[in-house]
Amino acid sequence: MQLRKRSTIAVLLVLALSLMVCSSAFAADKVIKIGVLFPLTGPAAVSGQNCVNSVLAAADVINKANPDINAPLAAKVGLLDGYKIEIVKADHQGKPDVAKSEAERLYNQEKVFAVIGSYNSSATKPASAVAERAKKIFMCGCSSSAALTERDYKYFFRHAPTDAIESKEFVEYIEYLNKEKNAGIKTLGLIYENTEFGKHAAEEAHKAAKHTGLKVVADVPFNNGATNLNSEVQTLKAANPDAVFGAALGGDYSLWVRTMKQVNWLPKIAINYCTGYQNPAVQKELAGDGDHFMGGMGYSPELAKKFMPEAIKIEAKYYTPRSNQPFDSDSIQEAVMLFVLAQAIEKAGSLDTEKVAQILRTEEFPSVMSLSGTVKFEPGGQNIHALSVITQIKDLDYKTVFPIKYQKAQPVFPMTPWDKR
Amino acid sequence: MSNFVQVLIDGILSGLLYALVAAGLSMMWGVMDVINFAHGEFLMVAMYLCYWIGEILGIDPLFSWIAGGIFLFLIGALTYRLIIKNSLGKAAMAPLLATFGLSMLLKNFCMNRFTPNFRLLSGTIMEGKTFQFAGAIVSVPQLVTAIFSLAVLLGVYWLIKKTRVGWAIQATAMDKEAAELMGIDTENIYLLVFGIGGACVGVAGGLMTTYLAVHPEVGGLFSLIAFVVVALGGFGSIPGALFAALLIGLVESFAGFYIAAVVKYVAVFAIYLVVIMIRPKGLFGW
Repeated sequence: MQLRKRSTIAVLLVLALSLMVCSSAFAADKVIKIGVLFPLTGPAAVSGQNCVNSVLAAADVINKANPDINAPLAAKVGLLDGYKIEIVKADHQGKPDVAKSEAERLYNQEKVFAVIGSYNSSATKPASAVAERAKKIFMCGCSSSAALTERDYKYFFRHAPTDAIESKEFVEYIEYLNKEKNAGIKTLGLIYENTEFGKHAAEEAHKAAKHTGLKVVADVPFNNGATNLNSEVQTLKAANPDAVFGAALGGDYSLWVRTMKQVNWLPKIAINYCTGYQNPAVQKELAGDGDHFMGGMGYSPELAKKFMPEAIKIEAKYYTPRSNQPFDSDSIQEAVMLFVLAQAIEKAGSLDTEKVAQILRTEEFPSVMSLSGTVKFEPGGQNIHALSVITQIKDLDYKTVFPIKYQKAQPVFPMTPWDKR
Repeated sequence: MSNFVQVLIDGILSGLLYALVAAGLSMMWGVMDVINFAHGEFLMVAMYLCYWIGEILGIDPLFSWIAGGIFLFLIGALTYRLIIKNSLGKAAMAPLLATFGLSMLLKNFCMNRFTPNFRLLSGTIMEGKTFQFAGAIVSVPQLVTAIFSLAVLLGVYWLIKKTRVGWAIQATAMDKEAAELMGIDTENIYLLVFGIGGACVGVAGGLMTTYLAVHPEVGGLFSLIAFVVVALGGFGSIPGALFAALLIGLVESFAGFYIAAVVKYVAVFAIYLVVIMIRPKGLFGW
């Protein structure tokens, strides 16, 4: 009896061990681990979660057979003859030091092939420095600080338009309004979080404004996660600029809008960088208070219908079930980066980082989820086809107002005062 | 001039809110010498509670703050009974680390259940209501919150100074063993203090849902400011908390407008450091 029991245990042990060996062998052979490093907690957590869901949606498109989606790698299962993408999540809490240590953990302990991230430019900067030192690939979807692609990094690639590109577009829009609509916008106010992202956005705004003769009359940085933005908005109100450029993420964005309502003040127009403006969840909470604000976007359901039909399919099949909302301009770019990386791996025919990085540096990639339809990186890693449009929100609907080529609605200008809404 | 009045009013309203958030912490710290690291998360729980009451039952935060106060009284009392009581008398840092663990638990529980989304109640009775006063715009939700804060603080002050229970709380804070010799049930006093501390922050959180978005991190900076208020005002002193909170609200507001918005918290913490160096037990410490 005793012998039988021992034999049974021995057989079970052998079985368990062989299963473990098999599964680890399978994991080692047929899985490509990709780290996703985003703010999953902290003030920008909503956006971070959306970014992760977006990458997971892209992974599903690649890992499963999706003949209904007309995108590279969608029809077949996995890539490189049966490899599947495995996503390893990490949270940097919006903190640069945590981003650095989490990037080190992902590359060194989790042995990820590449990292996608990290939403906050302040977190992307140290995390991508870790990648560069280790000669590992870092794919950045939506961090917009121009400084990120001015470092001559060899393993860093970014999809989003930079703050410099957006600032230039914003002032072009103001010039258009002045010329075509007799808007009379002469002064500019800036309100931005006091971080890598906000400070660079403000710097670029100053440069762009100077170029076109706009006078910056208020420059208001604030600490993100603030208990109130009363002083900040009072400062703006006292200077009373015609236009305001905003760089406030998540909860800070809604606090900014609500505080402007509280002090009963609005500029003629308010245009936002990559901020809470683009997040449908934040806009839903703001309801009508968010109306008539504007912002740079690379995606909206309205744009997608015309220019990105496949993105709508991916959204419906894999993204909305996870996020309960459509893609937003930020999160969709993280999915693009996984598609681009997967195409580069497929073209390289191996998991040789050098080969894959070389292909990323030199080739052009079709992208069904980019407004421009293609992605190509210049030295330093900036996507030269990065494109964004200016939209204006009304009743949770983002309408493209600029450039004219994409215009779907005339801008509501000046913004409707609070007491007339 | 209107700018000055506006900044003054903003500072006073913020200060009164900070006072209510800090009052509970002050009592816990002053009476029991226990630092409740989960204080900010208590605020968050109250905000979520009143948000969901508003969202599901349609009850306005103007009334649901009562539920916030009662629920957080219970949470506070439970925290004492289940966590603090078991960690007192052990390693010096045990209660502090235990409440730190509780803060992580509450924050991550809310993150998991409610996602990190920002939730803002729409259509509340006071939403967007303002009026003009001396050229400044006064936000009705913030004014009402400030008035409630003052009322609750006066109530707590009256309780401590004018009632037998309050005298027992003071006696326990001064000398626990002597208080026990006088027949005071210090266990119940501790329980009550944690409950009242929770209730104060519960009322504050409930009222704040009228104008602030709720999310799992909302308590962070409020709890930091509450710690500064308590240390500045003096441990266990309600008038101290009120004075310190008003001072912090005004410094934040004036520095933010007249120097630069980005230095408003720098000014707050600089004043705190100076006062603590000159008078370590705070302005009104026991």
